[in-house]
Amino acid sequence: MAEQKARLDRDVIAMRVAKELPDGGYVNLGIGIPTLVSGFVTEGSMVFFHSESGVLNCGPLAEEGHEDIDLINAGGQFLQPVPGMAFFNSAEGFAMIRGGHVDVTVLGAHQVSAKGDLANWMLPDRGVGNIGGAMDLAAGAKAVIVAMEHTDRENQPKIVQECTYPITGHGCVTLVITDLAVIRCTAQGLVLEEVAPGWTVAEVQALTGAKLAVSAQVKEYQL
Amino acid sequence: MPPAQRLSDDQIARRVARELSPGQVVALGFGLPGLVPGVLPERTGVFCLSESGALGYVNAGQTVKLRPGGTPLGLAEAVAMLRGGRVDCAVVQPAQVNAAGDFSHWTTAATTGVFAPGAGLDLAAGPKRVIAMLRHTAEDGSPNIVPELTFPVDGINALHLIITDIAVLSVIPRGLELMEVAPGWRADDVSALTGVPLRRNPDMGEMTFDMEPSRFPSKVFSEARDALHDLSDGATVMIDGFAGPGGMPHCLLVALRDHGARDLTMISNTAGIARITNFGTPPGKLAIDHSILIDSKQIKKAIASYPVSPSASRPSAFELAYRRGEVELELVPQGTLAERLRAGGAGVAAFYTPTGAGTLIAQGKETRVFNGKEYVLEKGLRADFCLIRGHKADTMGNVIYKGTSRNFNSVMAPAARVTVVEVDEVVEPGMLDSEQIVTPGVYISRIVVRPPGFSPYE
Repeated sequence: MAEQKARLDRDVIAMRVAKELPDGGYVNLGIGIPTLVSGFVTEGSMVFFHSESGVLNCGPLAEEGHEDIDLINAGGQFLQPVPGMAFFNSAEGFAMIRGGHVDVTVLGAHQVSAKGDLANWMLPDRGVGNIGGAMDLAAGAKAVIVAMEHTDRENQPKIVQECTYPITGHGCVTLVITDLAVIRCTAQGLVLEEVAPGWTVAEVQALTGAKLAVSAQVKEYQL
Repeated sequence: MPPAQRLSDDQIARRVARELSPGQVVALGFGLPGLVPGVLPERTGVFCLSESGALGYVNAGQTVKLRPGGTPLGLAEAVAMLRGGRVDCAVVQPAQVNAAGDFSHWTTAATTGVFAPGAGLDLAAGPKRVIAMLRHTAEDGSPNIVPELTFPVDGINALHLIITDIAVLSVIPRGLELMEVAPGWRADDVSALTGVPLRRNPDMGEMTFDMEPSRFPSKVFSEARDALHDLSDGATVMIDGFAGPGGMPHCLLVALRDHGARDLTMISNTAGIARITNFGTPPGKLAIDHSILIDSKQIKKAIASYPVSPSASRPSAFELAYRRGEVELELVPQGTLAERLRAGGAGVAAFYTPTGAGTLIAQGKETRVFNGKEYVLEKGLRADFCLIRGHKADTMGNVIYKGTSRNFNSVMAPAARVTVVEVDEVVEPGMLDSEQIVTPGVYISRIVVRPPGFSPYE
């Protein structure tokens, strides 16, 4: 049974996402797995992190005992002060996003559809949710990478034909990186490009709610 | 009999200055209005806004010199102040005015004949009062107050008062009324040099040029509760606090709880999650956040982008109240919230944003396609009160922030009728570097100093 097979852990997903960040690019990381990505930026490449808490060129999380309440990321976690930080207010922070100045955003998701629709702000059962910066990022970032587990807690696919949860943005997702696969969203649909070690294309497809085209160059997860 | 001598430019400026009161912001156009800051006494409490981008300045030749507490501004920000209703009075030098209070700006035709409105149109549209400052006649002796404007129009029915080198005229519904004449001039002399008929005010007097030195009323309140004394039930209140304790006006939150105003609409990024995330909260303590106003049942409605706990299993006070049907929620994407605040503060009624197109957020809203992409019409937000947290302020209300804690604070500050800032320290004008000021004092009505040792936890 596929469920018994080992899946990649959150750090490995983050490591794989980090490979997608362009050298010299401006990148916004969402909450959850995306936050881990900053720890895996490729040696020798430079990525500038943007946080809608109001800081550009932000650094790693603060060490315990060195927290500053006036230096936080979008999740409210405390950051280390680093040279080159620039502060701004929220109107400007989102002008950067909608104005097309952020190259890549990495977001978590509840669902991604075959058309690249993203649903990540509310689970209908809860009846209320947080949008935060997600809709602006979905609408404004040049590329939207989703980093998430391939299935939900009931092992149901999170990659679906049509989203059934409230939408964050239509057709905005460019790449999905999960604990099983790397899938590109194209005008023709979803294309499976990489598969986790020990998993087959068929096993990944079986846990995916939308039809995957298989890339001619499909390969094992590249780290 | 030849009329008496005309007033010097300096005297006209002094007469204009008499129209200004302490605490007012006055926007000055190009030309003669540039003389006004130079004739204002020190500590007069009038804030001069130059459309070239300076708040609180005096002229120094062709350039301006900032007064202590002055702030350099971007042009967009200066114009936003005008449109946002922050400017009490504008002084312009028109080329011509008519009896309806229409005017042509002096730059339009006097020099090139090319229509060059500059900020003249914004000067005419935004401020509560517009004063024309000009010479009564042109160089060829023809009247500058004319039956019909012959130069391009900059402002329609815009003028309230006309101050020239021989008279002060008030624009009234039926035309122009002669209020004052320069020393040695008679009403008939003025009428002879005016292209439209003048009514004579029964109390017409002689122009005077002295300005009472007056002290600017202090914005600093020693008690947070006094700064909220006139906040009433049903008010709309903006309160910052992005996520954790940073940037949150804790003293003002507690003062608002103690104040007890009810049925409030609260505009904020979160509706109180610091109590849930507890970043930086010492063991056994609770962070002070918006939840304290939920607990005291003062909030009727929240407008927020991140209203509930990140974890469904640890609901916030707001979420519990929402489930009980005690509070309403208007959920707004964070960037849309920021831009709605910015627009509200800048006098922009609404704007189109791509954010949220095709989602629940767009339901019931007007949408429009630009260049093949769908945009949602979102409206500017304004409030009765705004409670923000700064690091330092000077007594004029100029504010600087620390780190990420300016995020929503400096966006909210312009968007309310009364903005109260809670700071660590208040200093004299000039003690803050004018180049570093983030929120110019025009947006700040009241300042409260956080008591030393105040704990943001309880």
